Amino acid sequence: MATTAASTALDSKCPTGPIENRWDQHRFDLKLVNPANKRKFHVLVVGTGLAGASAASTLAELGYRVSAFCIQDSPRRAHSIAAQGGINAAKNYPNDGDSIYRLFYDTVKGGDFRARESNVYRLAQVSNNIIDQCAAQGVPFAREYGGVLSNRSFGGAQVSRTFYARGQTGQQLLLGAYSSLMRMVGQKRVTMYSRREMLDVVKVDGVARGIICRNLTTGEYERFAGDAVVLCTGGYGNVFYLSTNAKACNVTAAWRAHKQGAFFANPCYTQIHPTCIPVSGSYQSKLTLMSESLRNDGRVWVPKAKGDKRRAADIPDDERDYYLERRYPSFGNLVPRDVASRAAKERCDAGYGVGATGLSVFLDFRDAIQRDGIETIRAKYGNLFQMYEKITADDPYRVPMRIYPAVHYTMGGLWVDYNLESTLPGLFVLGEANFSDHGANRLGASALMQGLADGYFVLPYTIGGHFAGRALPAVQASDPAFDSAEATARGRTDSILAVNGSRTVDAFHRELGRLMWEHCGMARNDAGLRRAHDDIRALREEFWQDVRVPGPAASFNQNLEHAGRVADFLEFAELFSADALQRTESCGGHFREESQTDEGEAQRQDDEFSFAAAWEFQGVGEPETLHKEPLEFEYVKPSQRSYK
Amino acid sequence: MLRWIGNALNSSVGKKIVMGLTGLLLVGFLVEHLHGNLKLYEGDGTGFNEYVEFLQGFGPLLVLAELGLVALFLCHIFLALRLTLENRQARKHRYAVRNNRGKESFGSVSMFATGALILGYLIKHLIDYRFADGFFDDPKGAVANTLSQPGNAVIYMIAAVVLGVHLSHGFRSAFQSIGASHPKLDAILDKAGIAVAVFFAVGFGSFPVYYLFFWSPSS
Amino acid sequence: MSGDASHETMRITLKVWRQSNAEADGRIETYHVSDVSPHMSFLEMLDVVNERLLGQGKDPIAFDHDCREGICGACSLMIDGRAHGPEAETTACQLHMRHYNDGDTIHVEPWRANAFPVVRDLVVDRSAFDRIIAAGGFVSTPAGSACDANSLPIAKENAELAMDAAACIGCGACVAACPNAAAMLFTSAKVAHLSLLPQGQPERDARVIAMVDAMDDEGFGNCTNHFECMAACPKGISVENIARMNREYLRASLVSRSVE
Repeated sequence: MATTAASTALDSKCPTGPIENRWDQHRFDLKLVNPANKRKFHVLVVGTGLAGASAASTLAELGYRVSAFCIQDSPRRAHSIAAQGGINAAKNYPNDGDSIYRLFYDTVKGGDFRARESNVYRLAQVSNNIIDQCAAQGVPFAREYGGVLSNRSFGGAQVSRTFYARGQTGQQLLLGAYSSLMRMVGQKRVTMYSRREMLDVVKVDGVARGIICRNLTTGEYERFAGDAVVLCTGGYGNVFYLSTNAKACNVTAAWRAHKQGAFFANPCYTQIHPTCIPVSGSYQSKLTLMSESLRNDGRVWVPKAKGDKRRAADIPDDERDYYLERRYPSFGNLVPRDVASRAAKERCDAGYGVGATGLSVFLDFRDAIQRDGIETIRAKYGNLFQMYEKITADDPYRVPMRIYPAVHYTMGGLWVDYNLESTLPGLFVLGEANFSDHGANRLGASALMQGLADGYFVLPYTIGGHFAGRALPAVQASDPAFDSAEATARGRTDSILAVNGSRTVDAFHRELGRLMWEHCGMARNDAGLRRAHDDIRALREEFWQDVRVPGPAASFNQNLEHAGRVADFLEFAELFSADALQRTESCGGHFREESQTDEGEAQRQDDEFSFAAAWEFQGVGEPETLHKEPLEFEYVKPSQRSYK
Repeated sequence: MLRWIGNALNSSVGKKIVMGLTGLLLVGFLVEHLHGNLKLYEGDGTGFNEYVEFLQGFGPLLVLAELGLVALFLCHIFLALRLTLENRQARKHRYAVRNNRGKESFGSVSMFATGALILGYLIKHLIDYRFADGFFDDPKGAVANTLSQPGNAVIYMIAAVVLGVHLSHGFRSAFQSIGASHPKLDAILDKAGIAVAVFFAVGFGSFPVYYLFFWSPSS
Repeated sequence: MSGDASHETMRITLKVWRQSNAEADGRIETYHVSDVSPHMSFLEMLDVVNERLLGQGKDPIAFDHDCREGICGACSLMIDGRAHGPEAETTACQLHMRHYNDGDTIHVEPWRANAFPVVRDLVVDRSAFDRIIAAGGFVSTPAGSACDANSLPIAKENAELAMDAAACIGCGACVAACPNAAAMLFTSAKVAHLSLLPQGQPERDARVIAMVDAMDDEGFGNCTNHFECMAACPKGISVENIARMNREYLRASLVSRSVE
């Protein structure tokens, strides 16, 4: 498959000068919208997770007219709600040496030097405002006895900068943003449309001026015209079918925007989380993540003998392979997510996996319980053990947990500039849906920070530049551009229904997931990626010849919704594999087998690949055009990670 | 200016607070009523006659108290009707299969039924005594006369049990409704609710038992 | 032990409420499902039924679900007459088939309440909850206006109580399980969460009045303290919150000058 590399400059609009002044300077340089004029502008916010709910409420508070859309029955159910661990900020409340610069430094390094320094610095700067904002909303963060906020160290960070609300931080932050959003809905400053799926972005004179939605309750197509479109539609982890994402997570909104001219950046950057509950059977519909804090006390092992089917307790210590401790003596069980994930896959692929499927490794608390006592372990991990037992019926106090890696987060997304605007003017992209801040790998407790930073503190300023700096003649939903966009959306649905083949949507989705996991998962190589590319294409052709989706179109039809999403995943997966193929280096969550050190660790190729890969759509099945945005590191000099 | 009263009384929470308050006041009435009735056991019932005389001595004040009591009852009954009708309306389509999780009790689900039975009994009770000819000439005799008849005694016994069932939920529930809840208090109230129910059921139930089985006209 | 069980399968008879849209009459349909693995979640078992129905060209059973890990609050099944099924503090998506026996018959119905009209099959419209929150379930603090987070110390005990209440996932099991279809546990959880925190004080009185009014407007029933809501709540939210809301309401009605 030929991908045409082009050298068109992508203008990231990143400010220059000292990094700590860039955001200030940029805000000053941005044109402002007169308070009285704000109500003239109508913003369409798609998605109501952390990014969408915070953006919609904040824009409405500023005086813009806002319409918000979500796919669920209520904006409160967006998948941000499932985040467990916490949210980072550079508050330095524990007085342990944290600073904005350190959070910036850790994030650039954690992203394996594939993120923009300017963006990351801004993220670290506004992180403190986020904590203030959320506390003011009444988010019940954990507290010390004196009443001040509690912090913990998360994901191997050297400082305690993570704020948390039990194991439900995402839920509490989302409910905070949701409450602000509902306040604006109650005051009729936001119009909320739930059970709506965005099917297209409408361009008028080259600017995003509206969207086409399908009303999931009635099946009707609806048109919404506005002055800007903001996509906050999350990540695409479900291209793997099995992931820790919610079932409704999809790439459709981003993909349709991509087809309208928004470049898609770094689609191959996927985060695989090492401590998930393994697959139990062919019916498995999703995977459940357990906090990686478990690795603080649990020891990961597999039997030394291949295919050893004895119970864990019957395997003596000298017949156990504590492979993380063996391979990484200094970090041991606490190696980063990607390293731990690949090591587990390596053992299972080599035939040492445990459990009925052979696709899991032990996470054993025996020694921790002997050392600290069962009560200490219960206090630390009681809720996680309970969750594990609920799902597996195994009691982790008595038998080791079984874990396996699962797709968890996607760092890639629609390309955006420093203003969070995509290459389609007037289309802004926030949160996991964009590509900007995490580079090739995301640090724990940074996803929540980024979603809220974008929505509360970045977009509300930068969107003003769009309104004040561009002529936006009035556009009605009766504009011919809406006619053709609606016809396209309808046509796609109708053609899915018209196939009337023999295989179900879920069967195609599972097969796509298997292909992706096999060839585009934790470790990738040239041959596998080429094969995946061809197989994905063949599967897509089969889908359009043999999928069976019962109607009717004009009603509540969950299977039809799923079909549309899978159809888009099938197109997107091809780009995913192409991106992974062109990046012949290993970096962050992307491990390319051809690029490893002598010791088998990931090897970056900074000379060749220090760029963000932004892809331009050329037609379904056509090779996309690659645009490279060079990444420059003025402050954090690239270095190779080592955990030996 | 007084719209807040109407609003408060019409809201679901307001209704429930008033229901709880009137219920607790009626329990207060029951306390005094049982206290008076227990005087039937005092000196062959002469204590009871004295007690009735004592009450009669309040004259118009007694009438005022009775009217207050009627108002309490009417308020409690009116709200009970409203709540029950509204609650039935709130789920027009009922479950084909429904199971509880052991929190609702016989007392809690039968509040309307036990309340209606108590109302029916109350009317009979008033006819038997309050509005009966010659009751005030010899109250203890009137009680003995009524309760020594097996039919009446059985009705009075059943009524005492029904009252107990009503209180088994009502007493505890009233505190919750007026917002009096705290882990320390709730632990006591859970037991107190049952104790109060048993106390009044046994207390009021003792009279028909006594007059039917242990009392003879000669004594 | 789980290794052996994976080879066992069960046969289950399902009796499921089917209703093609809000206006249509519904009926209970029977489905026989074989090859049910004890490790399946209840929703995965429904997935299997749906795959089979789709294979036969029939309409699959519609049901709300999303995260499938017990936090989004989307799933909403009345299973054998109990909200989310037989297990305590467990959403339907986290209920596993190992709690059933070979040959069992299971009834599945949607939440039933006038305020939650059926959309299709087992899917109901819970937007009433959003409207209750929109009426007052927030602290009015526009982005940018917050003071430093540590300038408002909060007693750990209150923070914990607020978190207990804030754990609500808005699934509606409380309404479904309540014999009166009341929404008091849901509404009170938000009132309690915010009234326990200093941030919630400025709007404390107006909030409880507005939220109770909104709740009443939606046509929920009245609370009569059965406490079935607490037993059905997958997050174990306590009826103590209801008492707190009653107290807040009484206080606001009697004391507040802003309440006419």
